[in-house]
Amino acid sequence: MNQKDEKGVFDIIEGLALADPALLESFKQAMTQEVIPEIVRVVEERRMRAAESRHCQLKC
Amino acid sequence: MYTWIPLKSSADLAELNNQLTPEYDPANVAKKLADGLSDAIKAVLIERNYIDKDYRSTYYNFYSKKGQFYRPDCVRLHLFDETVKFDQKALKLHCADEQLDHHYFGFIVLRPTGIATIGRSVVSPDVRSEPGSHVITTNHKVHLLGYKLTVQGFPSMDQHIDISVCAHVACWSILRHYSERYSIYREFLTHDITMMAQEFNPGGLVPSNGLKVSHAERVFQEAGTFPLLIARVGNDDSSFYRQLHSYVESGFPLFAAMHGRNHAIAIVGYEWRTPAGATPTTAMRYAWDEVKSLVAVDDNYLPYLSIPSHGGADNSSYSCDDIDAFIVALPEKVFYPADAVDKLSETLFRLGPGLGLPPEDESILRYFITTGSALRHFMRERESEFDRNLLETVMSLPFAQFVWIVEVATAADWAIGQISARAILDATASLREVTPFWLIHSRTNALIFDRSTVGDTMNSVRALALSGMSNTAFTRWDKNLRPTQSK
Repeated sequence: MNQKDEKGVFDIIEGLALADPALLESFKQAMTQEVIPEIVRVVEERRMRAAESRHCQLKC
Repeated sequence: MYTWIPLKSSADLAELNNQLTPEYDPANVAKKLADGLSDAIKAVLIERNYIDKDYRSTYYNFYSKKGQFYRPDCVRLHLFDETVKFDQKALKLHCADEQLDHHYFGFIVLRPTGIATIGRSVVSPDVRSEPGSHVITTNHKVHLLGYKLTVQGFPSMDQHIDISVCAHVACWSILRHYSERYSIYREFLTHDITMMAQEFNPGGLVPSNGLKVSHAERVFQEAGTFPLLIARVGNDDSSFYRQLHSYVESGFPLFAAMHGRNHAIAIVGYEWRTPAGATPTTAMRYAWDEVKSLVAVDDNYLPYLSIPSHGGADNSSYSCDDIDAFIVALPEKVFYPADAVDKLSETLFRLGPGLGLPPEDESILRYFITTGSALRHFMRERESEFDRNLLETVMSLPFAQFVWIVEVATAADWAIGQISARAILDATASLREVTPFWLIHSRTNALIFDRSTVGDTMNSVRALALSGMSNTAFTRWDKNLRPTQSK
């Protein structure tokens, strides 16, 4: 059986409908314009702070 | 070789001073145990001439090389409740229901080092923690007098002060938990940890100088884990604590560094605040806001020390405010960090109208990692809570090994251990993915994401109306940590 013949989860589950495209588009815009840039910024800030933290001595 | 000490009260632990030689520092040990363990412990069985693998590793590489003579063996103390009796002549333990495990609270090894003598220990949190704590534990096998006992707990020990300090012990306890819990990780002895921290053999003097956080990272890397170092950004970084809590919720004990105190501990659990009942929240909250304290294994104290989420006036104790960074020793296939989940989880409410989520400002968010297998098992155990098609979806989706779960609950839900919605994210997702989801569902609606195609994000989503879930339970996940039962 090649990949084209394999059933995906959408073929298996009954009762599925198309999701509201306007809702999805609104979500996509929020992700691409706000959330993902913020995630990238925060992860980089966290990485830099971690680099400073590595030098701390622990001995007590 | 074996001595039974019945305890009418914790004061009777002073008998240890009569039974053990000074190299085990019995007076201080007795005081520490009397101050820290509950009165549910009604007997201690002393096992002498015990060969402890962790002490032996330091003995061969350090203590045997010293001018002062040190014994090569240890003493092991076993803790029992009031139902267990000991036949000194036959060297047999008796209990009425013949379920010794149910009446055994664990063991404490004493090293013959004169100072800081509490060695490898696994003690049940039931005889230590305040009620209502949730602690990361696993089963530890104990062979005693031909009996095979089991104790559920987290490993702990005092630091040696010379050949190991706080950071070594925190690494050791986490890796010992891993090797007991997960067969893919091998066991590392105390001296192994000392060696793994450095690129060179540190000998007998360097370990006493302590470790840098980078050395601890190296230990976890050498052990075959994939450590992630998370450091606090400023004093008002609530996201740092939310992530710390989420990893603990996931069952990952954390190596926590306190820069101001030059001290390291292992974080192994938490205690919830008493729920405020059904009074609605007025602003969105996180599970961290509901945490009263964390549970720590600190080598200066007996295990399961409760540290408040916020500091008090007493400078001699510490709080979560003192934690500046933590290392979580992750498995390989966790690529989507908690920072991303923390930011993404609020965005779920943008899909609220299509999902029937509660209002954002009335919600409590909680996120953690688990495996796809564990999720399926959790839902299978609670089949009656779910729509048939939803259950089939979860059983059919080709989850990666690890998933992030975000749970949304109202205050009323939270008070009774229920939730209103659950999102399942791919823990191997990339930071820039628009929809790193497998599934999001409430009681009434679900969105299902097909991750078999790359790039066609918006066409890879389907909606499913759910039935039969409006009046069923919708249980909050509680599988990763063990609730304590104070005795």
